[in-house]
Amino acid sequence: MAGSASRGENPQETRTVAIDAEVLAGKRFPYQEDMSLVEDIDLLAATPGPDINWLEDITLLEEDGVPAVFDRYSNSFLKIYFPIPEGREDEIARKVLIRHLTDGNSYGITLKDIHCKFPQVELGPWVEDSRIVGTDWKQPVLEGWTAPAGH
Amino acid sequence: MPGSGSRSGVSYDARGLVEPHADMPDNIEVDGSRARFDATDLTIRQINMALRRLIYNDGITDVTVLNPSSKHSLAVGILKRCRIHFEGSPGWFACGLIDGPEVTINGRVGWSVAENMMSGVVMIERSAGSLTGAAIRGGDLIIKGDVGARTGIDQKGGTIIVTGDVGINTGFMMQRGRQIICVNAGMNLGDSMYDGAIYVGGKVRSLGVDCVPGDWTEADTELIERKFRIHGLGDPPEFQKFVCGKQLHNYDALEPSERKLVIH
Repeated sequence: MAGSASRGENPQETRTVAIDAEVLAGKRFPYQEDMSLVEDIDLLAATPGPDINWLEDITLLEEDGVPAVFDRYSNSFLKIYFPIPEGREDEIARKVLIRHLTDGNSYGITLKDIHCKFPQVELGPWVEDSRIVGTDWKQPVLEGWTAPAGH
Repeated sequence: MPGSGSRSGVSYDARGLVEPHADMPDNIEVDGSRARFDATDLTIRQINMALRRLIYNDGITDVTVLNPSSKHSLAVGILKRCRIHFEGSPGWFACGLIDGPEVTINGRVGWSVAENMMSGVVMIERSAGSLTGAAIRGGDLIIKGDVGARTGIDQKGGTIIVTGDVGINTGFMMQRGRQIICVNAGMNLGDSMYDGAIYVGGKVRSLGVDCVPGDWTEADTELIERKFRIHGLGDPPEFQKFVCGKQLHNYDALEPSERKLVIH
């Protein structure tokens, strides 16, 4: 069941089935609690082409009984704790998500610097002049491992 | 180069870059933030390498590729906002896995154009092959012509607009997003679709399993009119709407992880 949590073998360890952006990041972000931090985001400017493009498919959902937006770049839900004005549900969900991505807080973005094999912009296509990561990927080598003969 | 070299003499790279000719083309004309080059004598790897270097490293935001000559897998995996124009026809798998580019193609394309596109706009001036927009996840894909079979197979988001006809099994296992087909659709439209909407302006040869006529809403009218307006497609025809009948797949029985996969 989404959001159900249980104690693991370690009593300090809590396990959950749901994938939550806060759990992945280890913290909650201010824009999850304060609508004024996302109000001035320009969705048209943040997306390719003359309309909101891929954000057309982003709508306000619910996770653990809390309004949430799905972050496809980390396969997780980002919960929204402030009251959302009626009629603006999808717009606010899109703005919270774009703020999450442009601030580089999506877990998928965090992983890029370490793991991506090809050069790409760190913060994705939403931020101009974002730095390029993945330019010096090296194949990991296990300590003490030697290649079999013939390879 | 990581992992390169082997006894066979064929260049090998752990990342899959196996085409040996990796010299940067020397025929690129740069004018400020714009660039253009002729791809006639270039390999696929050289063309993609030039695109990546121009867009990622050199700050170029507008690239024109002349004479792509039906070469496959061009402009794949570009993950940055930019404009790319193909003057001619790319081959299979053009513009796959992109996230951000706005691409115009003054020609035809082969199979699987814009496969797995995350965001961006791909506008094709003529017809496209089968599997157009396969597994597309976001963005707009516009084909000003006819397309082959399985258009938008496994579509998970985004909008596919076809000004002509589409072939058999269009929208097969579609999970989200929208398809706007201005003329006729072949057999098995929307077969086994989970969700999303398919709009057809002409005749449908037959509906697939669990694809049913849907109720038209003001949101449908707004979507169609907005997409036609912003992409300069003229006045839209009258459309029928088709959706999932929800008899084949049961959302309530899905585990949370499965539900997330359906969402994206």
